[in-house]
Amino acid sequence: MRKSTLASLAVILVLIPLTLFLGTRLHGRWYYLTSTLMIVETMVPFFLAFETRKPQARELVTLAVLCALAVVSRVAVLIPNFKPMTAILIITGIALGAESGFVCGAVGAFASNFFFSQGPWTPWQMMAYGLAGFLAGALFHRRFPVRNPVALAVFGFGLIVVVIGPLLDCCTLFTVSTRLSWKYAATVFGAGLPYNLQHGLACGVTLLLFSRPLLEKLDRLKTKYGMMDARREE
Amino acid sequence: MQRDAFSQCHPLTNFLYFLGVIGFSVVIQHPAYLSAGAVGAAVYSLLLYGRPGWGRILGLVPLFVVLSGLNPLFNHYGQGVLFTVFGKPYTWEALAYGMTIAGMFVVMLLWFGCYSRVLTSDKFICLFGRLIPALSLLLVMILRLIPSLTRKARQIAGARMCIGKGVAEGASWKEKISAGMHVLSALTDWALEGSIVTADSMRARGYGGIRRTSFQIYRLTGRDIGLIAWMAVLAAGVIGAGGTGAAFTPVLRIDRPTWGLAAYCLFLLIPPAMQLKEAVQWRISISRI
Repeated sequence: MRKSTLASLAVILVLIPLTLFLGTRLHGRWYYLTSTLMIVETMVPFFLAFETRKPQARELVTLAVLCALAVVSRVAVLIPNFKPMTAILIITGIALGAESGFVCGAVGAFASNFFFSQGPWTPWQMMAYGLAGFLAGALFHRRFPVRNPVALAVFGFGLIVVVIGPLLDCCTLFTVSTRLSWKYAATVFGAGLPYNLQHGLACGVTLLLFSRPLLEKLDRLKTKYGMMDARREE
Repeated sequence: MQRDAFSQCHPLTNFLYFLGVIGFSVVIQHPAYLSAGAVGAAVYSLLLYGRPGWGRILGLVPLFVVLSGLNPLFNHYGQGVLFTVFGKPYTWEALAYGMTIAGMFVVMLLWFGCYSRVLTSDKFICLFGRLIPALSLLLVMILRLIPSLTRKARQIAGARMCIGKGVAEGASWKEKISAGMHVLSALTDWALEGSIVTADSMRARGYGGIRRTSFQIYRLTGRDIGLIAWMAVLAAGVIGAGGTGAAFTPVLRIDRPTWGLAAYCLFLLIPPAMQLKEAVQWRISISRI
């Protein structure tokens, strides 16, 4: 068995249940610590898989460029709060696969926080953006090779409103609530909804307009330079 | 940026310090510890940020007020009813609990503000470069590309403006988005073509051939080892002394603070104390001239 598979099994079967168990058993309020530890533990196998694969130069550079492009994309559009970052991460996942999509999202979120500020939200953002790349790659990379911009836009909008946005809201919920109750959760999610809708709309519009050009550019690189077949190179 | 004595230490010392203070402020909800943490974090933010630090600290006050006031609306446990809202009791125990949690959040934000200033990206990579070589190389490349791509995006937008394709002040959303996508498209082409040159150059210089060494500018000195040992002693004191428990609802019960609180204060004050020591030494050496 591969070392990274072994590590993920250890995390899923031992570490996460142990954290949950300790978090619920210990006296006091441990929501934030327990949930954040679980988030970090979930990310470890992905990073380990990336490390043990020993990525080649071309793959590494392509990932870095797409990741930086995702972070920078908000500068290009002169509308406040219009963030195409997730859209570019989704396209990365589609073009390079689920694993690369995850790494790109997680490291991108971490890197962009060096320019804003690291905070209690950093692990959650890494997980959320990593998940966006991962899910897009898991669905559309090989399994259902959909390239229709409208379908992708709907997927991106839904992904943010249903998965990514609420995941980020969970961070707020676990950090600021004294007691976990459905009412409090509903309030936090309700407060986050307009923001998530806005974010989802930006992502959907970007995917609608930009998914075909970017995927074409990546395909062109593939034919012109043999990029992205990085794992088979050398 | 002002020169800060603690920032000059080895990244490991910085990292362990922040691990300690942020860890303790997440876990301990005792009001005395929390207040000490708030003062410590505020003092260090002021040291690091100077005058703008006041703006950061005062900006957190409304957040604190809103979060503390919000919690009793959802948590109705406790005996001391202040008044009723929508037929539900608003108790002062729940308010105290809300204030504690809001305080924890605010203190955490202050500490992370300090963390961002002290543990810069180069220090992070120095710490984790050996442990996760591929990921930290990826991080370095991204951190370099972000400013470079931002500059290029501005250049492209400027060039488009010169040929009359710029975005006017009162442009509609549609125009702004379509202009943004054009800039993004040009930027992508430029960046991806450039990435091939980088990758080929990396390969030509033997990337992936043998184990990579990394350039280290920081050295672990005797002072760092002493500081780490001192932090370990104090942290053990905080954990060992106990008296950190506090429960709010349904019944208010707060432990009596023990000497662990003194250890905690000493832990918090490491950076300001180092700064003070340097300032005093500087004064003395100046007066000797």
